[in-house]
Amino acid sequence: MQQSAVIAWGLRLASLRLTLAALTLLAVDVLLTYRAEVRASWPLALPLALLSVNLIAAVLTNPTFRRQGALLAFHLALIAIVLLIAIGQLTYLRGHVELSRGETFGGELTQSERGPWHFGSLAQVSFANEGFTIDYSPGMQRNDTRNIVSWNEAGTRRSAVIGDQEPLVLHGYRFYTSFNKGFAPLFIWRPSNGRAVRGTVHLPSYPINEFRQAQEWTPPGTALKLWVMLDLDKRPFDKTKPWRFRAPEQHSLVVREGERRWTLKPGAELALSQGVLFYEGLTTWMGYKVFYDWTLPWLLAACVVAIGSMAWHFWRKYAAGPWDP
Amino acid sequence: MTQPYPELSWLWAALIAYVAAGSLAIIAVVMNKRPERTLLVLMLAGLALHTVSIALRWTRLGHGPFITLFEILSSNIWSLMLIFSIAYWRVRTLRPAASVVMPILFIMMGWLLVSSPGEGHLPPTYHTVWLYIHIGLGKVFLGSVLVAVGIAGLILLRTAGLARNRLGALPADERLEDLAFRFMILGFVFESLMLVAGAIWAQDAWGRYWAWDPLETWAFLTWLVLAFFLHLRVTMKLPPRAASWSILVVFVLAFLTFFGVPFISTAAHKGAV
Repeated sequence: MQQSAVIAWGLRLASLRLTLAALTLLAVDVLLTYRAEVRASWPLALPLALLSVNLIAAVLTNPTFRRQGALLAFHLALIAIVLLIAIGQLTYLRGHVELSRGETFGGELTQSERGPWHFGSLAQVSFANEGFTIDYSPGMQRNDTRNIVSWNEAGTRRSAVIGDQEPLVLHGYRFYTSFNKGFAPLFIWRPSNGRAVRGTVHLPSYPINEFRQAQEWTPPGTALKLWVMLDLDKRPFDKTKPWRFRAPEQHSLVVREGERRWTLKPGAELALSQGVLFYEGLTTWMGYKVFYDWTLPWLLAACVVAIGSMAWHFWRKYAAGPWDP
Repeated sequence: MTQPYPELSWLWAALIAYVAAGSLAIIAVVMNKRPERTLLVLMLAGLALHTVSIALRWTRLGHGPFITLFEILSSNIWSLMLIFSIAYWRVRTLRPAASVVMPILFIMMGWLLVSSPGEGHLPPTYHTVWLYIHIGLGKVFLGSVLVAVGIAGLILLRTAGLARNRLGALPADERLEDLAFRFMILGFVFESLMLVAGAIWAQDAWGRYWAWDPLETWAFLTWLVLAFFLHLRVTMKLPPRAASWSILVVFVLAFLTFFGVPFISTAAHKGAV
């Protein structure tokens, strides 16, 4: 009696009408998610879970799947895709980090979001930004980005050029160059009491913020509120000609503290109340997009199995009969 | 004085051949004639001229027809014509479908005529083999659905009592509908491949394989609607007329995804904007 009730439930759950209802629900949820101000993946979880249950029940109860191996493989691969996406949502990491030329990434991201089960090894990841070039066509049309990066691998220093299609992959973390890049004044801050610190201040992304090349900044270990602005003698590019992104040689740096204002050239020093600020020169910074999802190769494999088995199933079905009725 | 767009004269010649083929296809169905060889020659002549036009532009600009509305319309008319011509050549039963398919292509040709043939910039994210794979798979998908639309159109025209002599000689609606769904399934396989290839490209280009941008969302909705109708056909045993309407729905959705969304969206996956 109990066994027949289980079978009856299994058949209900395996119903193709339920498949239709779940597909409709998924389509509606996709539309709602698309139109929502804040995108979230959880509204899609219910129809996907329903489709998975429906598929599993169909595989268990529908004898067609036992007769047709390719159809079974297709539907099992679909279940695998849904499960892998769900696991990916629990273990992913997405983030952003900015590195000046010569700076080494030490595992800290500027901003990030991650799944609750993300226990990756980002702290072990280390690489240095060795500088980049970006060529622009007339009209300031951006072309290829070529960023040299270096890292240690088994005691050997290795380097590579990454860019628009080529991320750096270390410990499963993928680092992508982005359109977000700019100029960075390089300072040495010598506090009155303590050790000198060398570092950069990242100005807003260039050339998109061409007329807002200023940033507020506090030297480490102080309460000073400095404002620095890049003052270019002339625009570094001509919109009608090709241009290569590089730090301009002819420039000065405006530094302001409250009502006081100074103009610095590379190599100049500035004595402030809590230390001395030495301006070394202008360099560049690159914004990297960081992505981690260990399910990617498995997802691809599941997709290949799904589509391959579906194609094989229909090929066998339709190759048997004539196409010209 | 040099012509700024030397490929255009070849394109206009191709369009004239297509229009002649389409007009002949409509006249043939209405008058119950079968100028099938002439029609195939006209379509192939149009395709040859169109190929020269695309090749000239590709050589001149150094990149394929992937950027502007003009290029995308031109390359899609070419690929749809190519796929329909192959189906026309190989499957005799669907030959009257030219009278349904060609007017759809006429709309695209009209749109092409009013589009600017100006040039666009090839973004650095387009410098990848996945561009060709993704777009190629998409073109086979849309072409397969277009062939299915042609057959569905024949069923609906016959139901409406039009061109009775020519359409009456075709196989029963059930046989035609089965043929149409074979092309829909072919489209389903290629749309699935297109989505996967697009996800691989997006992962490399933008550091994410899926982000629900407008084009991704509408392409996935098209896939879902197609999956829905394939299941509906099995579950409800749809009569040929209803099945034909379902094919038209999928085509409209796919058409809007291909040619509507890229031109109204400013998101990252923005196509020609």
